[in-house]
Amino acid sequence: MGKKLKSKMFFWLFLAPALLSFIIVVVIPFFMGIYYSLTDWTAIAGIKPNWVGIDNYKNMFKDIAFQYSFIRTFVFTLLSVMTINFVALMLAFLVTREIKFKNFYRAGFFVPNLIGGLVLGYVWQFIFKSVIPQIGDALGIDFLSNLLLLADPTLTLFGLIFAFTWQYAGYIMMIYIAALLNVPQELIEASEVDGANFFQKFWNITFPMIAQAFTITSFLTLVNSFKQFDIIIALTNGGPSDIYKEQIVNSTELLAVHIYNVAFKYNNMAEGQARAIIFFLVLSVVSMAQVYYNKKREVEM
Amino acid sequence: MKKIVSIVMVLVMIFALAGCSSAPAPADKSADTKTEDKVAPKEESVVIYQNKVEIGEQLSAFAAKYEAQTGVKVTVKTSGGDTPYAENLKAEFQSDRQPDIFVIEGKGGYNTWKSKLTPFSGDKWMDLTDLAFKADGKTYGFPVAVEAWGMAYNADLLAKAGIDPSTLTSQDAYKAAFKKLDGMKKELGIKSVVAMAAGPDMRWVTGLHNFNGYLSAGLPYGDTSVLDKMLKGQPDMERLKEYADWVELLFKYSDKAVLLTGNYDAQVGQFATGKAVFVHQGNWIDPWLMSNGVKFPMGFAPHASVYGEHNAIFIGAPSYYVINNESKNIQAAKDFLNYMATSEEGANYMVKEAKMVPAFKNITLKPDAPLSADVMKWLAKDNGAYTWLQNDMPDGFGMGTIAPIYEAFAKGDITKQEFIDQLADKIRALK
Repeated sequence: MGKKLKSKMFFWLFLAPALLSFIIVVVIPFFMGIYYSLTDWTAIAGIKPNWVGIDNYKNMFKDIAFQYSFIRTFVFTLLSVMTINFVALMLAFLVTREIKFKNFYRAGFFVPNLIGGLVLGYVWQFIFKSVIPQIGDALGIDFLSNLLLLADPTLTLFGLIFAFTWQYAGYIMMIYIAALLNVPQELIEASEVDGANFFQKFWNITFPMIAQAFTITSFLTLVNSFKQFDIIIALTNGGPSDIYKEQIVNSTELLAVHIYNVAFKYNNMAEGQARAIIFFLVLSVVSMAQVYYNKKREVEM
Repeated sequence: MKKIVSIVMVLVMIFALAGCSSAPAPADKSADTKTEDKVAPKEESVVIYQNKVEIGEQLSAFAAKYEAQTGVKVTVKTSGGDTPYAENLKAEFQSDRQPDIFVIEGKGGYNTWKSKLTPFSGDKWMDLTDLAFKADGKTYGFPVAVEAWGMAYNADLLAKAGIDPSTLTSQDAYKAAFKKLDGMKKELGIKSVVAMAAGPDMRWVTGLHNFNGYLSAGLPYGDTSVLDKMLKGQPDMERLKEYADWVELLFKYSDKAVLLTGNYDAQVGQFATGKAVFVHQGNWIDPWLMSNGVKFPMGFAPHASVYGEHNAIFIGAPSYYVINNESKNIQAAKDFLNYMATSEEGANYMVKEAKMVPAFKNITLKPDAPLSADVMKWLAKDNGAYTWLQNDMPDGFGMGTIAPIYEAFAKGDITKQEFIDQLADKIRALK
């Protein structure tokens, strides 16, 4: 047995456990999922699914609730990627300055991320439904005391983005902090010698130097916003109702919730599976495009 | 050649690994069964997988008593409330932990689980109830309890306003009463006449319970003609129109905040604190009321879902215990259910411990809870019940498809005519 062969054998040997589990828990279920999406599978053990071809996919694109959910998901994702990154970057700037208790602030901003989405959703539901009207009562502002924030489709979406930003900005902040601390001080000093003001320093030095962090953070926020589920379930439960193409739809039933509802509430497993596959495809294309685009902007030192 | 050898080696390794990890499992299993066989060759055990969180403890206690008496171990597993029972049940079946007894909720559940059920026959409890779940002439479901809803009223407030609840039998009577109460808001200290909820958290109130009025109000018990037509995609336009008047009336006299964004606590709380005279809920709110120390007398008035006189509330069994046909302990499971229905301990458990209204005629114990006691009164009346058909609608139709229409109507996004048309459209789409 040659040395080369031996090393190759060890290579595969050490790879085998990981490869095997990957195949068992990811690859096989994935292809099973594609198969089920082409059948009328009901998830009850012992009932054989029948082949229905692409019917599930056809129904999906005809479904107005799905179209609406798709659009809303994109709006939600776009807005929350922007707000989360903006807020996180601001927080990161604040806590990397020379201020007292900065470690305390860092920890404080990070804490909401440790609260589960469901709990957090119920907390914000309570704030939106009870606390805000009570503040309105106390201050005598009728607008606030009569504000039914969770009854208006637009306001509810903003409320959702708000709650999600509150949860996630602290985590993204941590990544920005690491990036900001890695910006070489000599570059900043050099620019200061050249007379650059704060914005020039930020735009020409800090921003390009933390581009790598942008790739990561925008990927994370994009994927997590797109897949948002638990906060929605707790905060809005898909509602309130909205009207789209003369049909009544659920305004915050974003794709993940929509797929769940189709599969479990309507007990339509196969159709839910078909939607999940489209969901997967769209998410992979969008996130890969984003990573590709951001990578091009990164600066090599 | 070398390549092939290496591949073969890898494959061997993989199989060896797979063997390592899977080999102990069967060994364990056989060991398990062996010990079971040796230690207690005749020991039977029943696993019951149920969906009522609020009775989980009481049922476990009852099961423990049963085990002490008969030696048959009954394990109670509960999932429900916020965790979705239907999904979890599917997961149980996908795994090898299939329960012996599980719960279905009417026709929808039956259609899903048909292939897994075994019918009851010759069981003692079957003669003691009219509420068993039957399909194709066979009895499949043991009614867990009786529940009912109507317009629950606060008797004190009605008396103060000089309204006799027994006169509330038609839409006109309700209209007059609501108007009178609305005019007396200050004197009665109420915020709105009706505690109604149509928001995203409360879709079962509108999409299931309220809509059931369209399906069965005013019809003799067991009449499914409107439902049958609906399942064929035919709306009854006349009924829908009458029904929309009822919905409009309820929405008009309820508090906007509770109606649009309220949750269960907000809705029941409004009634419990005397801020509303009526609540659109059933006797399941009893435990909530009792644990919050609500003392005022209350009862149910009928829903006037369509025109005409109404003298019945919606009474039915929300869920049924069914038997898994692959269970190894079918007889033991049946014995347990018979014991629950026929023994004194069973009656005590259902009425006193779990605070349920039993579905069995042999039970004479009366519940302490105010609304449950009122349900017993309605049950005793001739023709005091309208059928429950909300669980016989297709999955998701009530809460998913039509409930958002109520919400849009409540918000004023659509008119009453649009509300009727939208409902009719959704019914036509059922074809």
